[in-house]
Amino acid sequence: MNPHAKLICTVSLIMGTSITISSNHWILAWTGLEINTLAIIPLISKSHHPRAIEATIKYFLTQSTASALILFSSMTNAWSTGQWDITQLNHPTSCLMLTMAIAIKLGLVPFHFWFPEVLQGSSLITALLLSTLMKLPPITLLLLTSQSLNTTLLTLLAISSTLIGGWMGLNQTQTRKILAFSSISHLGWMIMIISYNPQLTILTFILYTIMTSTVFLSLAQIKVLKLSTLLISWTKTPMLNATVMLTLLSLAGLPPLTGFMPKWLIIQELTKQEMTPMATIITMLSLLSLFFYLRLAYHSTITLPPNSSNHMKLWRTNKTLNTPTAILTALSTTLLPLSPLIITML
Amino acid sequence: MSPLHFSFYSAFTFSSLGLAFHRTHLISALLCLESMMLSMFIPLSIWPVENQTPSFALVPILMLAFSACEAGTGLAMLVASARTHGSDHLHNLNLLQC
Repeated sequence: MNPHAKLICTVSLIMGTSITISSNHWILAWTGLEINTLAIIPLISKSHHPRAIEATIKYFLTQSTASALILFSSMTNAWSTGQWDITQLNHPTSCLMLTMAIAIKLGLVPFHFWFPEVLQGSSLITALLLSTLMKLPPITLLLLTSQSLNTTLLTLLAISSTLIGGWMGLNQTQTRKILAFSSISHLGWMIMIISYNPQLTILTFILYTIMTSTVFLSLAQIKVLKLSTLLISWTKTPMLNATVMLTLLSLAGLPPLTGFMPKWLIIQELTKQEMTPMATIITMLSLLSLFFYLRLAYHSTITLPPNSSNHMKLWRTNKTLNTPTAILTALSTTLLPLSPLIITML
Repeated sequence: MSPLHFSFYSAFTFSSLGLAFHRTHLISALLCLESMMLSMFIPLSIWPVENQTPSFALVPILMLAFSACEAGTGLAMLVASARTHGSDHLHNLNLLQC
């Protein structure tokens, strides 16, 4: 890809995200979303492969429909209440339409079918952008309108996202699809808590961004796109494979690692709000995603391939680890002791 | 609900239903998207007249500009899908299914 075009796309991606997260007016927020969508499209389709083109078409159709629905819901609200402020979304029909539009944009469960396919059709770095940076503007809109949205509907979306994200990830062998389903189930945890304690949603999103960036960057470094490649990648960089295993267990939410913190706080908050059955259900459903994280971790370090003679041996090259991966790995495994500090800072 | 409101609400609803349920050609999906945007142009351009807010008069042009950008991107992807998949049928886009 032309470096100038890449620069323009990256700058408009950052600009669109910052316009949306700092806006107070629906039109400005919609403009930021549109800039975001138009800027990521060349990055997805840059390889001109049929799969990349297909992913681009699917991404474009879903995102532009969701943007039009967001504008329509805010316009309905403005015609009935006379307000264009994001925080003053009071009309019940437009609240319902906004919830639906944001669910399409994020890939929550009744509208999740585009997300694994788009991730499968793009490269690992673009997939990282799609599952972290492109989720930030819709989450921000949801946070700003969270006090007027329907709690029952959000809880239903959250439970079904965690269920389907865990369930459909069980059967996959492609790492990008597995990470897409893990993203869907993490989004379920974020949506679950959004109407009770929006700060916890921000905390969960930041920690999820750190952990999933670590996984995507490490996989991009050893060029792993499916489980059988992960199985023979231990000859390349053995230390990186060990840290990938720790990061995956952190993403699954096992206790001494960072990923346990958001789950712990969310379960505590739900128990405080006397929603113990919901907390039990969502915890049990995250066991499903624990299964495929464990399978990834098992393939990355613990086992050797049974068919050692058939595979082409990979050379162990002296690649220097890049610094962002190292910092993100340290953050995504050892942040749990700092949780009182982080809670105070929120 | 005045006849004006009814007209653009129903235009938006029917074009979004067409986008959701009529899935044969990419070009018809793009036309439905464009008619969704154009049906939103009417209320956005009536808003500054009815509420005496001239500062809002720029917004329909802004919306029209972005919808034109979207339509251009959509047509570019129509060409790309014709080059890689041979046609613009949406059921040809099945390489990435689970």
